Parts: sequence; C-alpha cells; structure tokens
Amino acid sequence: MSDSTLAAPVARRTAPLSHRLLDVAERSWPAVLILVALIAGWEWACAALGIKPYILPSPSAILTAALNDVPGLARNAGITAWEATAGFVIGSALGALLGTAFAYSRFLARGFLPFIIAANTIPVVAIAPIIIIWFGHGIGSKIAVTAFLSFFPLALNMMKGLQSYDRTVADVFHIAAASPLQTFFKMRLPSALPYVFVGLKLNVTFSVIGAIVAEFVQADRGLGFVIMTTYRTMAMPKLWAAMLLSALMGILFFLVVAMLERIFVPWHASMSTDP
Amino acid sequence: MAEALSAEVRDLSLVYRGRGRDVIALSEVSLGIARGEFVSLIGPSGCGKSTLLRVLGDLLTPTQGTVAIKGRTPRAERLDRRIGFVFQEAALLEWRSVLDNIALPLELHGASRRDREARARALIELVGLTGFEAAWPRQLSGGMRQRAAIARALSTEPDLLLLDEPFGALDQITRDRLNMELARIHEVTGVSVVLVTHSIREAVLLSDRIVVMTPRPGRIERILDDPLPRPRSLGTRLLPAYEDLVRAGSRELEKGYANV
Repeated sequence: MSDSTLAAPVARRTAPLSHRLLDVAERSWPAVLILVALIAGWEWACAALGIKPYILPSPSAILTAALNDVPGLARNAGITAWEATAGFVIGSALGALLGTAFAYSRFLARGFLPFIIAANTIPVVAIAPIIIIWFGHGIGSKIAVTAFLSFFPLALNMMKGLQSYDRTVADVFHIAAASPLQTFFKMRLPSALPYVFVGLKLNVTFSVIGAIVAEFVQADRGLGFVIMTTYRTMAMPKLWAAMLLSALMGILFFLVVAMLERIFVPWHASMSTDP
Repeated sequence: MAEALSAEVRDLSLVYRGRGRDVIALSEVSLGIARGEFVSLIGPSGCGKSTLLRVLGDLLTPTQGTVAIKGRTPRAERLDRRIGFVFQEAALLEWRSVLDNIALPLELHGASRRDREARARALIELVGLTGFEAAWPRQLSGGMRQRAAIARALSTEPDLLLLDEPFGALDQITRDRLNMELARIHEVTGVSVVLVTHSIREAVLLSDRIVVMTPRPGRIERILDDPLPRPRSLGTRLLPAYEDLVRAGSRELEKGYANV
C-alpha cells in the first residue's frame, strides 16, 4: 500500500558510545603507529648521528625541558589560550554580525566588501604593532590582534551562508506566511551553519597563530614570549616544547570546534562520514 | 453559485519584464474552480501553467486581471494559511526530522507543540510514512520525500491544495502509487486541488476537469470534462472512457506543441 511497509523504520543515528570509541580507535591507529615510529626514529637519530641539541633536540631532551618548567609553561600556555579564545570569540561574533548585515543589505555589502577584502590582505605581522600601540601592552592587544584575524573569515562565510538557502524552501516559508524573524532563525541561519563552521574552523587555527604573533611583537608572558626568550638564550629544547605546545593547542581548539559542528550541524557533519 | 466556487480567475495576464523584451506568460486567462474540485493544468513548457499556479498561491502578482479565492485575495488566503503548495522538489529542511518538517507550518503559526505533533502524526499516517517520524529527510527516497511535502502542505488544513509537477522526478511505479494516495487524500479531505502536470494520463486519472494550455502567449486552449467514476483507482485506467479521454487530451495538447 505504501513504500513505508517495504523498508524498516529508520531511527536517528545514535550509535552507542562504545561503538563510536571503537570506530575512532579503528580509524586512528595507523596515525598513532606512525607517530610512535617517528618519535623513536627521531630519538635514535639524535643519538646515533650525534646531532647537536641546538640544531635538533631529541624528544627526550624536549620532554625533560618541558618537565623542568611545568608551572611556567602551563601558565604561559594558559595565557596564550585565553588570548586566542577571547580573540576568536570576539572576532567571530563581530564577523557574524557584519556578515548578517551584508547578507541583508546589498548596499552595505557592495560598499564595505572591497575594503574588507583589502584589509584582509594585510599581513598580521604588519598590523600587530599598530594594534598594540592602540590597545596597550597588556593582554587586550593580543586579543585584538586575534580578533582582527578571526573577523574576516566569519564575515564572508556568514554572508555566503545566509545567501545560500534553497529558493524553493523560501517559497515554502512564504506560503506558510512566516515572519522575517522566523525565516531568519528557522531557515536562513540553519542553512548558513555549514558555512559558519567552515569559517570557525579557519579562525580557530588562525587564533593561536594570531596570539603568538602578537606576543612576538611585544609581550612579557605567553607561549610567544617563551619562544622569543628561549630563542635569545638558545634554550632550544624548551623552545621546541613551547612550539609543540602551541601546535597541540591549535589541534585541541580545532577538535572542539569540530565537535560543536557535530552537535549543531548533525545533518551535515554526518553526511561527510562514511556509513 | 459563488458559494460553491473555491477560486475564480478572471482575465488574468502576467508579463515577465525582461531585458529588452517582455515575455507574456499568461494572456487573459479565465477559470473557475469549484469547491472540492480536482483540476489539472497541462501543456508544453512556457504555456504558463506553473505561473498560473504561483499566482493562485500568491507567489506571483498578476499584471492584469483578478484572482479570488473564496471571494478573497490569494494574499489574504495565504496569510490565513488556507493554501497548501507542493513543489517539484520536496524542499524539506534537512536539519529537521520528518515529523518536525511536517509540523513546520503549524509551528510558524504558533500552534502548541502537543497540537502540532498530534496533527503531524495524523498526517504521517495519512500519507503512509508511519515509522519514519524521526528520520532525517536525506534518509528518505524521492517518493517518501514528496509524501512528507504533501503532508506538510496539508498540515494547516488548507481549502486549496496547489501542486506543481510534484511527481515529475519519480519513477513510474512510485508515481502510480502517489497518484492513488493523492486521489485518496482528495476524497478524504474534500480539499480543492489544482495539479500542474506534463502527463495527460496522470491528469485524466485524477481530475474532474483538465485545462489544456498553449504557449506564446500562455492561454487556455480548451477545458476537458473528466466524468470517469469515483473513487478513482489504478483500475480506472482499464476503462474504455479513460483511453478516449487520454486520446482527446493528447489531441488538444498537440495543438499546443504545434506552436512550439
């Protein structure tokens, strides 16, 4: 009588946690294996080939340097993490607001976009000193540099996302006499979310870079400050530790955003994985 | 008599203003649709059948002429959610379950969660999607997506159901099934239906009247009565009168294609 009798009812994708963990383990073990092999080979090469520690410190030397100053590294990493996060949130929020204005006003989009794109080409190392002059020597200026970096990707992706809705779905909302606010929150914003997350994933990796670059220009704390000071004293193992920590931070932030994407855009995120 | 009319179109013209030249999509079209009637619009591309449907649904504003639905403007009827519209694509919200998609118009209307879910569940049963309430749209086949779209269009209990080639992209067997579902929904709900289609067989199978249209400019070539007995079933196609009507309809259609 109907094709619903032909197929089994479909439930929402809610695999148990143990299955999902197994799945993650199955997909990531080759990378873990390679990582372990790399570290072992690196350790062996440093000793066997007699590579000088300031050229390439061994993994054990880096770990020792890190363990010698756990509180200091943690404090500095925390400061950089705070700068990156605050800048990411502020810049992304401002970008989202402006992108929304652009999506709704052709005048604003046409008037401002050329300048926004031009400003986006300014290298962050060039703008960072100026922002530090404006916002002072504290954490505020580092947050501002990061926010500056996060601003453009989100403004552009938000605008594009809000314009990418299905025109027939818009007709459905028109027939249902939806208000402009209903149309925004129930159609255009959800349609924009996949684009928004493209922007957020770009921003979240940029944000750590932005915070560290700003610390390079002027700072008395943060991972960028640690990298600068260890470079001056040639304390290379500790410099490597700080560098690896900043990379780890970027990866961690990215994973958080990817997780948020799975929560907020499950219909889209689940499309990208194989069944 | 005016009471029995669901919709009345009088001397309707619609011109698309293009760059350099205007396209006359509809030229002085007049048509009355009785309450509970099933009317099909058929004709070659450019005959204005979809344009006429979109005018009835207040998706387009006519250049000239009047449209009245139960004596009111399409806009007033739309704002009161008295019109259901099904498009060629199902146009479901990919981020909502089937149930929440069907309940969308009621949600926009401010109905309580309990009311709209009860209504959506009843509609899911009506269109044969029981068991798929929680499924994502992308998990559905094309035929099932259109079932959901039909259920959504019926959620506000409209008086007028407008369908714009809703089964055009489906395979023949699924199409036959959905034709029968539509015939049954029409019988059960008593809704007035206007169906735009390319298939004369589909039109003859389902309609009370078949409006054959011709292009350049879009106008009504002829209106055929379809007195086949109700309720309609796939067995209706075995009646000699069915074949006679298909032949008569095809002849009229060919006149339109002669101008293409």
